[in-house]
Amino acid sequence: MRTNYTEIELDALRELANIGAGTAATSLSGLLGIPIDVNVPTAAALPLADAIDATGPAELCVTGVAIPLDGDLVGSALMLFPEQDVATLCGLLGLEPDSEYAESALGEVVNILCASYLGALGDMTGLQIELGPPEQVYDMLGAIMGSILAMSVGASDVALMLDSALIIEGQACSLSFLLIPSADGVDGLLAQLGLG
Amino acid sequence: MAEISVRMGELATSSDADTPLVSIGLGSCIGLALLDASAGVAGLAHVMLPGPGGDAAAKRPPGTFADTGVPALLEAVLAAGARRMCLTAVIVGGAQMFGGAGRMQVGQRNEEAVREALRAVRIPIARAETGGGSGRTIRVYLDDIRVTSRAAGGTEEILYGAGAMAVAA
Repeated sequence: MRTNYTEIELDALRELANIGAGTAATSLSGLLGIPIDVNVPTAAALPLADAIDATGPAELCVTGVAIPLDGDLVGSALMLFPEQDVATLCGLLGLEPDSEYAESALGEVVNILCASYLGALGDMTGLQIELGPPEQVYDMLGAIMGSILAMSVGASDVALMLDSALIIEGQACSLSFLLIPSADGVDGLLAQLGLG
Repeated sequence: MAEISVRMGELATSSDADTPLVSIGLGSCIGLALLDASAGVAGLAHVMLPGPGGDAAAKRPPGTFADTGVPALLEAVLAAGARRMCLTAVIVGGAQMFGGAGRMQVGQRNEEAVREALRAVRIPIARAETGGGSGRTIRVYLDDIRVTSRAAGGTEEILYGAGAMAVAA
């Protein structure tokens, strides 16, 4: 079992995340009709408890939308929305945050962003990546991350997380997009990049 | 009040009345508290997976797997001064937060494995607050050996010790 990755490997994964997030940003920009920026993504392999801490305070209540990944890339894609960002995003979509449409709209946004991000990844690597249906919860960050990590990377000593932020221009709102491949998933990505 | 945070896979003990143990945000994980009220000693493990831990367990934090984590916590509370015959357990967590088809029922399997491991070492479960779809935070207070659980956005409920409602485990 791999417990660490070289800087070259992490750079390659960062570049994948960069292209994935860039494609997702273009989709989101089309959806909202405003410019979306992306940050430089982070790629880090951390012991699982540290991986949870890296996403924020464990007791913070957030909305999490997870999409299970299968096929040539097993793992999870996850978007985390602090309460204020749910309100901002719903406002931009012309929805009340508490309305019955808000939840399905949020799921649909995540669906579109994941499809864009992972579509770009699939195109670049030649991997067939299957997306499951989005699942949405509102809960403590620690509980969301712990459950996702147990399902996705439980067998590994470390979790490799690719973290990108989609920054909505003029809104002080940035959407965190996390890709958490299984250990085999990471190896598969690296192999396709000629680093396996 | 300083408290000891027991993160995913970790375990810790306390015999200091001013130092509670806490695991924040248990989803499918189980917070397992072992208590000796008369000695004023408690331990808390934040169990992530049922196991078997096998060879992998040695490289992971000691509370990661139920099958190796329960004996490890038992050993730790005994070393901290608890008496074997006075120990009782409280378990919290094991939620199924992501319930879609094909997903592993990690929460339920965690609970079953922790219960099995406790049976193997003959420690009774005084109270269980498990299952459902919401995350929980477990706190173990040492001043009077109380265990509480709090769901996201909810209030802190006493599961064990003074003020707890009698409920079958």
